[in-house]
Amino acid sequence: MRKNVRGFLYFAVTIAILVGVLRVTNWLPEVLQGGMMKSYGSIEDVKSDLGVRDIYVPSYFPQNLAWPPSRILAQSRPFLAVVMEFTQGKTGDVALVISQAADKRFAPDGTIAILQIKDQVNYTLKGRTALLEVGTCGNEIPCSRISWDEANYRISLTIKAPPFELVKIADSMLR
Amino acid sequence: MTLANFLDSYIGRYIVQACCHSLVAALVADRAIQAWRITDPLVQQRFSLIVVLFPIVSFPAYQMINPERGSLSFRLEALFDSGRWLNMELWGIIPLNVVFVCILSVTAFVFLFQEMIPVVKHTVESRGPASPEEEPVDPVVGKALEHLPGGMPRVSVIEEDEFILFSSTGRSPTVFLSRGLIDLLNGEQLRAAVAHEAAHIARNRRPLLIIVFLIRILMFFNPVVLVEFRRIIQEEEKVCDDIAVRFTHKPRALAEVLRKFNSEREDLSLETIKKPSALGAALEDYSHNVHLESRIKRLEEGPPHRTGGEWVKFLLTLAVIVAINYFVV
Repeated sequence: MRKNVRGFLYFAVTIAILVGVLRVTNWLPEVLQGGMMKSYGSIEDVKSDLGVRDIYVPSYFPQNLAWPPSRILAQSRPFLAVVMEFTQGKTGDVALVISQAADKRFAPDGTIAILQIKDQVNYTLKGRTALLEVGTCGNEIPCSRISWDEANYRISLTIKAPPFELVKIADSMLR
Repeated sequence: MTLANFLDSYIGRYIVQACCHSLVAALVADRAIQAWRITDPLVQQRFSLIVVLFPIVSFPAYQMINPERGSLSFRLEALFDSGRWLNMELWGIIPLNVVFVCILSVTAFVFLFQEMIPVVKHTVESRGPASPEEEPVDPVVGKALEHLPGGMPRVSVIEEDEFILFSSTGRSPTVFLSRGLIDLLNGEQLRAAVAHEAAHIARNRRPLLIIVFLIRILMFFNPVVLVEFRRIIQEEEKVCDDIAVRFTHKPRALAEVLRKFNSEREDLSLETIKKPSALGAALEDYSHNVHLESRIKRLEEGPPHRTGGEWVKFLLTLAVIVAINYFVV
């Protein structure tokens, strides 16, 4: 019995060590080479840390959304990608996600997942051809997304709202 | 499609996570065996089976439970994100994902030539017509095996001086042994040797290992599974040792047989190390001898000690593996 208890303790300790080793192993690439996806405090931090100059930020912002972004994620390896999440002032829920990535297959996140797309149209945005999608997220909440190619990047905006404000925000990101 | 894109696809993530999950499972299972001092090869085999079988279903099962498991947020909070390593470059030139795929390719190559082809060959050969006539039993062998419980297996004597002992399965399972071995072993030892092979034949009638092998083919690329499956095969030898001892009640006789097979271990000289082919053979020989020595040691130490509650320990280990691997993406 005592041997078994000692065995359980020894097992628990080795599992704790294994979890620690996994955490350290996960952190090592950032130390060795840097540029891995991580959280940043501000857009300026992203620019200085990753040496990126052109991060597309909207100049128009609806009043119901809180500025600055509640979360900024960025990476430079294997390609540059920046994700900004904005919350709704009242509820604190993520209501807008802006992503900019040098790889077209990059999927920002499932924070705002459009479950059903009801309409898809090409929309001209200051001379660029953008794809505007309108649909619903969970609980039948209206959601919309607009995405287009800008320089070497794919820019995508997803909002938990009908597309009217989304188009204005996207438009304000371009000169 | 680039290699990075492939590894980011569903199949790519399945392959990468299967390797990571089996590595974690191997570490946890090994620690469990050490922690509870599990010496029974049957129980050890059960733990090893987790390492081989779990990664086949882990990724699709986890994705079914939580489709957002591959998302950015989840990866950021994960215990280990394989993508972080695969996106690295050695000296800024060689992407680690290329190194990873090379390791998988070598594993697949080893699996094909050392496991798959020999197994297919053996299966085809053993499906041949069963020999209708029973060979007359060698008088020395017949006398040694007359009191073997469970009936005497079919035995075929090879007229060679070398030490040969193996069994074949299929329609007419047979124990093969050489004249040189018969001349060398006494009655007890001969009975123990044939009882060990008879145990292999008996266990092959409940072909758990064959089923595991068929499932394990899906993991042909996985280096951890390759190593663990070989460990299962080694445990199988110990399981059959125990069965043989239960038949004969003479563990020392079987230990003596194994000792006779245990060839003199050669030291790895510098000259040997310089020749890759000779080094490979020497290492294989060394590994074989170490395995034989461990079998001899446990036979001499007596029957395996059971601490009890093996299923509780097994289920706890499985639960830990499932929980940790959920956060390994």
